[in-house]
Amino acid sequence: MLRLENVSHSFKNGSEVLKVLHHIEFEVKEGEMIALLGSSGSGKSTLLNLMAGLMKPTEGHIYIAGQDIVKFSENKLAVFRRKHIGFIFQAYELIPTLTILENVELPLVFQSVSGSKRRKKALDLLEMTGIADKARLYPSQLSGGQQQRVSIARSLITEPSVIFADEPTGNLDTRTEEEIIRIMMNLNESMNTTFVVVTHEMEVAAQMKKTIMLRDGYLVRPDEKQPMLAHAPSLPGGDLQASADESDMQDDSESAEKAGDVS
Amino acid sequence: MRLAWGQIKRRKVVTALCMTGISIGCAAIIVAISIGNAAQSYLDKEIIGGLKLDEITVTPQSMGGNRGGEEQDGLERGLLTEDKLQVIEGFRHVKSVIPSKQLGYLRFVSSDNLVHDGINVMAVDLSKLREQGNQFQQGGPLDQVGAVVLNYGATTGWKDSETAKRLMEMINSDGNNPMLWEEYEMYERNITDMMGKSLQPEQMIGEKMVLGPQLYIGGILEVEKGQNPMYAMYDRRAYISFETAEWLSDYLNPEDNSSTKRRTFDTLTVKVDDLQNIRPLEELISKLALNATDNLAARDQIASQLNTFKAIALGIGIFILLLASISIIVAMTMSTHQRRRQIGIMKVLGAHMGQIRIMFIVEASVLGFLGGLLGIVFAFLIINGLNSFITASAGIAGLQIAVTLDTLPIGIAFAVMTGILSGIYPAISAARTNALLAIKRD
Repeated sequence: MLRLENVSHSFKNGSEVLKVLHHIEFEVKEGEMIALLGSSGSGKSTLLNLMAGLMKPTEGHIYIAGQDIVKFSENKLAVFRRKHIGFIFQAYELIPTLTILENVELPLVFQSVSGSKRRKKALDLLEMTGIADKARLYPSQLSGGQQQRVSIARSLITEPSVIFADEPTGNLDTRTEEEIIRIMMNLNESMNTTFVVVTHEMEVAAQMKKTIMLRDGYLVRPDEKQPMLAHAPSLPGGDLQASADESDMQDDSESAEKAGDVS
Repeated sequence: MRLAWGQIKRRKVVTALCMTGISIGCAAIIVAISIGNAAQSYLDKEIIGGLKLDEITVTPQSMGGNRGGEEQDGLERGLLTEDKLQVIEGFRHVKSVIPSKQLGYLRFVSSDNLVHDGINVMAVDLSKLREQGNQFQQGGPLDQVGAVVLNYGATTGWKDSETAKRLMEMINSDGNNPMLWEEYEMYERNITDMMGKSLQPEQMIGEKMVLGPQLYIGGILEVEKGQNPMYAMYDRRAYISFETAEWLSDYLNPEDNSSTKRRTFDTLTVKVDDLQNIRPLEELISKLALNATDNLAARDQIASQLNTFKAIALGIGIFILLLASISIIVAMTMSTHQRRRQIGIMKVLGAHMGQIRIMFIVEASVLGFLGGLLGIVFAFLIINGLNSFITASAGIAGLQIAVTLDTLPIGIAFAVMTGILSGIYPAISAARTNALLAIKRD
């Protein structure tokens, strides 16, 4: 379903080249639900953006549904994303001027699916995520947890090959966080949808069937907390959870943006 | 469309700014076209209508000789004679030929002692007055010597002899007194029922006032078609037959024996079946050593001036619309920057560049359409104001501007087109937004 081959990525900061991902290789099978775990600055958001086709890696290949998305043009990537990739954002990212129902329908609008089909499918998904009664409301009228359920419903509407969830519980309280994780796990089981959940929280990762850990741009075996690749330099010591809790650390994507994408 | 409409509703300030700009431009276009149409209609009705485009006026090339009765070969050649009249009547495309002869302005005294200072007396074939497009208000053309037909203007301006004398004396002594002129104008505009009355022309011969023979008013004409009654009032004419004209001349000019001579005319009014035959007929007439003139050149000149006026008015409208389009470009470009995150989300969800572009262009065209609708309301208000001004201040009778239905789609089309054109740059800019940067930055 999702396969990364020797993926590396660097950002350029003036004359300095900052390598943020080093020879990442892993595979996610269809119907799996994996956690991509790492502290701030570990490169997990960059890796997510690469897998979602929002950035191109400096080297390596990314296969989704058997196609190497690294070779795609921007427009081809847009078409590919709308068919094969679903997104769940940390800040929900619903369009404020559209109703809940219209927000869920939106990816199908881009696929030119007829109105009645869109509506039926969107209502079914809202039913599955438990907020069908809020279909006519606007995002501002919903709580954070409810908005995230809408976001989950929206990510599923195109029946994508894989759903990338970027810190989906990052803005939620503990009780709501559990609800959202439960909904995602239920959907994973009932619909056999592949989920890649990016998180820095061990509690969230612990609930997933499989965990991939990143540390300073290297893939780390969860049990070993060591680089998976033989040529990787030795990692600084320290507990992963402890570093994940360092809220003052700069987010890797922000540093990436400042540095400038060299891909 | 739903997304575009949602943005329009949500971003009230941007919407209001864009709509105001575009509505002013649209209103300017509609007002410009309406003024142009009104001016065209006014000219057609009040000026070109009065020009009688289907007529050729034929005059002699030489006026000398005929009055004295000395018809030398050289002078005969340029005269308007009965022979030439018959030749012209025989030309194809000629509907009618009406000869006339000017006797000039004469002072008249009526049987009930009213006087008129000046009516232009013309000898015509009275039976052809209707052919010329005249309609009788009262009576008709009497076929007897001494019968006269007055036009509408000749029924105004009659005063009793004492009032006429008093006014003349007072004006001569106090010509700057506006009250006097006001009273004079009041008499000038006063319509008198002249039907059935008898008239006598008065003429100074030497130092003596000579009264002519009695004439009988047998018919009164209506205002000519296309003529404004306000102007028609000052066009005072009395039509008499050629026989009456000769009889009258004998009275007023006993020493002039031209009436015994061969009849000639001052003018022939030739009515033509179609405007396109005017010029060829004029060429034929000029071969008879006569002058032929028409009003087509005057019409063309007026039309050319009107077209220039319309082009200037439309240009002003388009210029305002261009200014409005700048406001839309600025507002929508700002809006694009403010909505980068939303655009980024849509791209992540699978919207390609074309779809983002279309969304912005639809938004701009909806703004244009709404601006156009508002512009129509503005146009009606502006035109109502202009009409009030024209009626109250400018005093141009007959000029009323109206927003015709055909101008509304033109205005809307201009507004939507401006919206679309103005939306192109913001749409391209929006479509180029880097999805990832947009999401992370905002």
